[in-house]
Amino acid sequence: MSPASMRANDSDDVRAAASGDRHAFQRLYQLHVGRVHGAVYRLAGYDHARAEDLTQDAFIRAWQKLPGFRHESAFGTWLYRLAVNLALMDIRARGADPVSMLDDEHLPDAGETPFCAAEREELERAIGKLPPRARAVLVLHDIEGWRHEDIGSELGMAVGTSKAQLHRARGLLRKVLGESS
Amino acid sequence: MNEFEWRRQMRDLRQPLTPQRDLWVSIEAALEDSERTPVTPVTRETRPARRHWMIASGIAASLLLAGGIGWQVLHAPAATSVASSKGRTGSWKPADPRLAGAAIELNAAQMELQLAIKQAPGSPSLQRLLSRAEQQQTQLRQLASQAAG
Repeated sequence: MSPASMRANDSDDVRAAASGDRHAFQRLYQLHVGRVHGAVYRLAGYDHARAEDLTQDAFIRAWQKLPGFRHESAFGTWLYRLAVNLALMDIRARGADPVSMLDDEHLPDAGETPFCAAEREELERAIGKLPPRARAVLVLHDIEGWRHEDIGSELGMAVGTSKAQLHRARGLLRKVLGESS
Repeated sequence: MNEFEWRRQMRDLRQPLTPQRDLWVSIEAALEDSERTPVTPVTRETRPARRHWMIASGIAASLLLAGGIGWQVLHAPAATSVASSKGRTGSWKPADPRLAGAAIELNAAQMELQLAIKQAPGSPSLQRLLSRAEQQQTQLRQLASQAAG
């Protein structure tokens, strides 16, 4: 299926789902769950159970808010932002300190994660060990490609703070990976 | 690793991921529940989801505050006042004034959460918060007993 026809189907299903068609919403779920769950999973520190709860919440909220969806953006983008916002709210609700970072003494020994382990799985594990807010900034900027302005707006912090958090998060990550950058 | 390589590796992590279990069954069940419970119409002006999560955040903070007060009382000299209880459900207020504030916070948190759950019955996060509030209240009752003893 071409991207254009996929978008057309998506659009039909969005309208049908907004009118209460649950089968259409199920098709939207199947089409978008991978992207949504992937982003939420990374923000949740690679915690499967938490990410699944958040993904589930995101789709339930999307269903409830669909009648108000105005098609100003693609449905996938709208849903993705909704899910990311939920994951960020979850980080806030868990009382993550906005400025605290992982102490050096709590970092795992570099020997446990040799540099060659910068391969996907090890990298993900290392990101999962970062403090929640620092991880959120790193995931949103370096992986999801967000701008600092958007991150600052969503996380309620100044652009400068977002940049500082990212710099520190990268440093911690390199340290976890055993790299002396 | 140079900057370019670093960025490439990070961007490579941006991949879709299928959940380990099929979430649709739970989502559909939650949608059915929410259809049985009327939901307030959504408008851009009211932004209920954001407000709803702000409430949840506030409740979480209240729970932390209540826990903190309880912890202080536990480590303070025993109180002379006697805790009173009106049962496991409904409004409960200990006689010890140092615990009363925490009890009010917890009662309010429970009421807010119950209202929020009525609007979003399938929300695991809200259920977790309610469960935490109930645990805190149980702990507070124990503290009230200790303070009385």
